[in-house]
Amino acid sequence: MLSGLVTGLIYMLIALGVTLLFGIMRVVNFVHGELVMLSAFAIWFIGVNEGLTIWVALPVAIAVAAGIAVACQKLLFKPLQYDILNCFIVGIGASFAIRSAAWAIFGPEPQAIPAMLPGVIKLGGVFMAKQRLLAAGVCVVLAIALYLFLHFTRPGKAMRAVEQDREAALLMGINPESVYVSAFIISAALAAVGGAMLGSVFGVDPEMGSEPLLKSFIIVQIGGMGSIAGTVIAGLFIGVADSLTGTLLGGELAFIIDFAILMLILIIRPRGLFGYDV
Amino acid sequence: MTIARRTFVALGSAGLAAGMGVRVSRAADKTVVLGCSIPLSGPAAPTGITTQRTVEHAMELINAKGIQIGPDRYTIVAQFYDNKYVPAEAVTVVEKMMADGVRYLFSSGSGNSVPVVEKTTAAKVLQMSGASGKNHLTAPQFPYSFRVQPCNETAFAVYPWLKTTYSDIKRVAHMNPSDEAGYTESEDRRMLAKQYGFTNVGNEYFKRGSTDMYPVATRLVGFTPDLIDFGGTIGRDQGLAVKALRELGYKGHILLGYSDAKSFVDIAGPDAAEGTLLFDTLADPETPEQKALYDWWIAKYGPPFPSYAFLMWDWPFILAAAIQNAQSVDPVVVSEAMRTTVYHGIFGEERFGMKAVYGLDSSLTRQIPMAIIKGGKPANLATIDWPTGV
Repeated sequence: MLSGLVTGLIYMLIALGVTLLFGIMRVVNFVHGELVMLSAFAIWFIGVNEGLTIWVALPVAIAVAAGIAVACQKLLFKPLQYDILNCFIVGIGASFAIRSAAWAIFGPEPQAIPAMLPGVIKLGGVFMAKQRLLAAGVCVVLAIALYLFLHFTRPGKAMRAVEQDREAALLMGINPESVYVSAFIISAALAAVGGAMLGSVFGVDPEMGSEPLLKSFIIVQIGGMGSIAGTVIAGLFIGVADSLTGTLLGGELAFIIDFAILMLILIIRPRGLFGYDV
Repeated sequence: MTIARRTFVALGSAGLAAGMGVRVSRAADKTVVLGCSIPLSGPAAPTGITTQRTVEHAMELINAKGIQIGPDRYTIVAQFYDNKYVPAEAVTVVEKMMADGVRYLFSSGSGNSVPVVEKTTAAKVLQMSGASGKNHLTAPQFPYSFRVQPCNETAFAVYPWLKTTYSDIKRVAHMNPSDEAGYTESEDRRMLAKQYGFTNVGNEYFKRGSTDMYPVATRLVGFTPDLIDFGGTIGRDQGLAVKALRELGYKGHILLGYSDAKSFVDIAGPDAAEGTLLFDTLADPETPEQKALYDWWIAKYGPPFPSYAFLMWDWPFILAAAIQNAQSVDPVVVSEAMRTTVYHGIFGEERFGMKAVYGLDSSLTRQIPMAIIKGGKPANLATIDWPTGV
């Protein structure tokens, strides 16, 4: 269960980036999973292959992810006027292209990012890798930081204003385009940190973004598209459900349970736990 | 004008001669096309890429000498198709090959090989597989299907060796991917473990490519085994599972194969990987033949050398020897020759056997090298002779 909480927290962090973009501009960003993967590769390349520390590599990975995210926003989503369906389709295409490029550049061999906090500790009779606990801590801190940013800073309030009413925000002197750019950068930064945590726990390979993205969509749907609180709760819920299902019933059933929960929630509450109409 | 006419005649003669030359050359060098359905992308791509590189080099050596059948000299042309380790892709790829007239097939992975064996049998295509799959792949009803890499069959050699080498192992748990390869691996390994007096305490399946191995590792640790046999678990899954098992406090033996040792140690971490037993893995070249392959790879592709290349080296030569022995390129005739061909390859004497198990001699039998992870690197541990009577 503890390991499920940790995995759930990492997925939650990645899902926060997805829900942030959807909340503000109604864009379902399919490239998000590839940002996770590219960030992890950037950290591996700089921190392991080039022999620098992970702590040096992390800011570079965030910059790489932010650069690609903003490029996608400017070159793909903006020309499509953030139309939900068109952005969805173009995002899938871009995602495949980036993944193929990663295959070509980094090769198919899985790589590893060494644990920033090596070793194992025993918590209440249960062994747990310290790296997993570090990952959990980082995810919790970033989720709180995102909440504080959105509620107590001017740029955060501007984002929420654009989310609630784009035209009214425009009349108040807020430039939605610059808000969009900020949202993409923050979303990419969350993906990059998620990639670092995921890579250090589970390894790095060109396919590594697929499962977190799928889980992110499940989490975001259950929590409610655009809801930070819903994403946090759904992330923890899915992580624990996965872990319990896998441990008690076998790993094959985990995805079945995830989708069963998703279908149940969507039937009972189509907007998700904390969502609203698009 | 005269010069122009002479030039024309000369050029025409040269062209005719060149054309005849090509025709003569074609008549002398006939080709056998070998279609290879292997994963060149996706999670299993490292094995596919190693296979392609190794087979290409084997073909260079085979074709330099050629295969003489009567007055005709044959060469083998290998064509590589990406099956992505997805069965549906593999079926499409093989159907395309057969439509193109390919009559010799190499297929990698049991999920990719089993679905096509009925088609290749009906079309009398000689299929060689590097795959598990038991009698779904090699059986009397599939007379042209051969297994050229011992997979689940390695257990027939490894379990008796474990019994005599590790007296501390009593309880065995099994872990496999939830697919054709996993189920057949698990079936054989549990059967052999029981046959050699071990107690099977657990049998777990997981979704290939899972991100989090903690749930399956937790269940395995709960069985308190002395040995966890990873069976058909391959690639990144091996490293993640070993890492999770050690983090959960498991201190017993771990047995795995089909591994790129460097990648495995990178993912699991050197501490977690330490002591892992690797079946059918030759860590370092020992014989001149093994060293020649190793040196060629390092010179061409640089380190690290993937030990999987050793496993993919001999079968093209066995095929060439069978064609030579058959004095025919008809797959039906060559299939019969395969069964009686004895080849002295990189692992010593190799021949198709296991009639006692599958009802037909169509699974490659040979010595099984064992390695162990020591100091973060694989090291040769033992060479197990193929058991008699199997």
